[in-house]
Amino acid sequence: MRKALILGLSITLLLTTFGAGAFGAEKLELGALYPISGGLALLGEESWRGAEIARLVRNEAGGVAGKEIVFAQGDASTPSAARSEAERLVEQKKVAAILGTYSSSRCMAASEVTARKGIVYFELGAIANSITTRGYKTMWRTNPTAADFSKAQVGFITDWYAPKLGKKPAEMRVSIAHEDSDYGTSVADSFSNLAKAAGIQVVSVEPYAANTNDLSSVIFRLRKADPDIVVAVSYANDAILLARQAYELKLKAPLMGTGGGHSIQSFADALGKEADGVLNVDFTQYEVNEQFTPGLKEFLALYKKTFNEDPRSGHSLANFMGANVVFDIIEKTGGSLDPEKIREAAMAVDIAPGNTPTGWGVKFEENGQNVMATPLVTQWRDGKLVTVWPESASVMAPIIRE
Amino acid sequence: MDLYVQVLVSGLLLGGVYALISIGLNLIFGVVRIINFAHGEMVMLSMYLTFWLNHLYGLDPYLSVIIVLPVMFVFGVMFQRLVVQPILTTSATMKIFTTVGISLLLQNLALIFWKGDFRTVRTSYSMSSLEVLDIIISVPRLVAFGTALLSIIILYAFLKYTYVGKALRAIVEDHSVARLMGVGVEKHYWFAFGLGTMFTALGGVLLVPFSSVYPTVGVPFTLLAFVVVVLGGLGSMSGTFLAGLFIGCVESFGGTFVSPGLKEAIYFAIFILVLLVRPQGLFGKGKGTEEVGLK
Repeated sequence: MRKALILGLSITLLLTTFGAGAFGAEKLELGALYPISGGLALLGEESWRGAEIARLVRNEAGGVAGKEIVFAQGDASTPSAARSEAERLVEQKKVAAILGTYSSSRCMAASEVTARKGIVYFELGAIANSITTRGYKTMWRTNPTAADFSKAQVGFITDWYAPKLGKKPAEMRVSIAHEDSDYGTSVADSFSNLAKAAGIQVVSVEPYAANTNDLSSVIFRLRKADPDIVVAVSYANDAILLARQAYELKLKAPLMGTGGGHSIQSFADALGKEADGVLNVDFTQYEVNEQFTPGLKEFLALYKKTFNEDPRSGHSLANFMGANVVFDIIEKTGGSLDPEKIREAAMAVDIAPGNTPTGWGVKFEENGQNVMATPLVTQWRDGKLVTVWPESASVMAPIIRE
Repeated sequence: MDLYVQVLVSGLLLGGVYALISIGLNLIFGVVRIINFAHGEMVMLSMYLTFWLNHLYGLDPYLSVIIVLPVMFVFGVMFQRLVVQPILTTSATMKIFTTVGISLLLQNLALIFWKGDFRTVRTSYSMSSLEVLDIIISVPRLVAFGTALLSIIILYAFLKYTYVGKALRAIVEDHSVARLMGVGVEKHYWFAFGLGTMFTALGGVLLVPFSSVYPTVGVPFTLLAFVVVVLGGLGSMSGTFLAGLFIGCVESFGGTFVSPGLKEAIYFAIFILVLLVRPQGLFGKGKGTEEVGLK
């Protein structure tokens, strides 16, 4: 609920302003930077909820290194707002670390500020590759990258889809339709490279602006390219529009989303039975093998208790998992946010896959990227986003849409 | 060959929606001479109203016009009286700041009250399409196109043959002279605003069967409607209609044959060219109507 967010924010604000802790405990203040207004507000806020639940749970259990965790909220409604909000959090709120951000373009802008000031930035949800390849010493990311998404897509196409069509990978024709900001471009580029390396033919690449209200031209181009499958990289509105117009204008190839808009309930609500069979690669969703994702059930219960509804997507789960990794790291530094101490503690983390609520392992590379996080292939079936690949995490076998 | 016809049809259908949203702006912009940056938010509000009428009372989007249009007419009148009237004599920058502010206010109010969800009305005809000689025509888009055409004919007749219509046209051409001729300019301002908002709302309603509703849904329409109105010429309803179709086709052809990512860039380039060569717009009435409200 919006009200819950506002209430949460006001409480955070009150606590930070007056600094009077409930138990008189010392405070550990972290910046929480998400788009909570503007075009990305829905999933930005959904992401924030995951981190917020992690914070509440941790505080109830005594906080981090004996300190109560407090979020100083920032609103990264646009990339330029992300930059100025990061400035504000660091300069005025004096936070020594920021977490966020959901959107890649906002993370890129905000983490530039923190890198310059030597402040630690934890990314829990944005996937553009460049976030952890800029050589920033204070940048850490718990979630998989665009390259990991592409790996999963290429893996699915070569291991499952091509054999199903009775084709060799080299005979597979794939088109890419992507929104043209950091997120879409980054994912499309890495998919295109990986697919070509695997011998798959990339027959067309169609960039478009996400705030459009007509994608018929994209569909016409796709029809002309005649692929076996279309990999789409979309935010919410354009994901719905693309699928609707693909149906209306009789595009034969099935769609495979890349997180974002293809994962949210609105997508299934808008398309009804036409959503059935749409494939998607994303962070861990809720219809997944529970052996692979210990703690997921508990998270769902906490979510329902805190926000009085079911999650709108898996973004909250990814941020919940990520925030917990962050808190564990800070626990090990004894509450210090000094970049060197954080580095030492982060590099020591070693969790095998299948041991967190997202099923992701944790092992950071020198550049701050967690290399044990892998996205999963899901498919819309009867209004539910069901995990279908790889087998270790799946609850159903994938189907090909007629 | 088929592809060209299909792209043309899609462009025309898209253009019909653009035209419908722009006629309202033409009235407001032409008569009241204010750059209303909250125009897209009027589309957004009417879309939400349609969505809620369907969601709560099961009202078909097309039937909901009987409620949405009067409500939005009143909203337009209130908007004119409470926001626009007090700033009419101030500088252009003041008007821009005020309406941009209102636009942000409305977007964020929508976000607070209705959340950021992407809401959709599903009707039996939402994704239905006709196929004529292998050309696919989306039914809800065809309805929007037909309604746009009909609205423009009605509005044209209204402006041509009624006293109020004649007065409005007189104000578009020169409000000082209209006032000298005994036209109650202020009184017509609020009527034009209400009427303009109502036609914009009609566009919003017709979008609902094939477009999601969310707080920032109106944003792209604001600039787009300005391009259509200025291109078509202030005060010219048929100009707006043709300019809407033109922009729709430019988007459709540019998107299909150049790149979908560049379709906006292409029509803005054409827009700038037209402004340089023919500042009064393609179908404008000539001298006096070329200004872009910056007086």
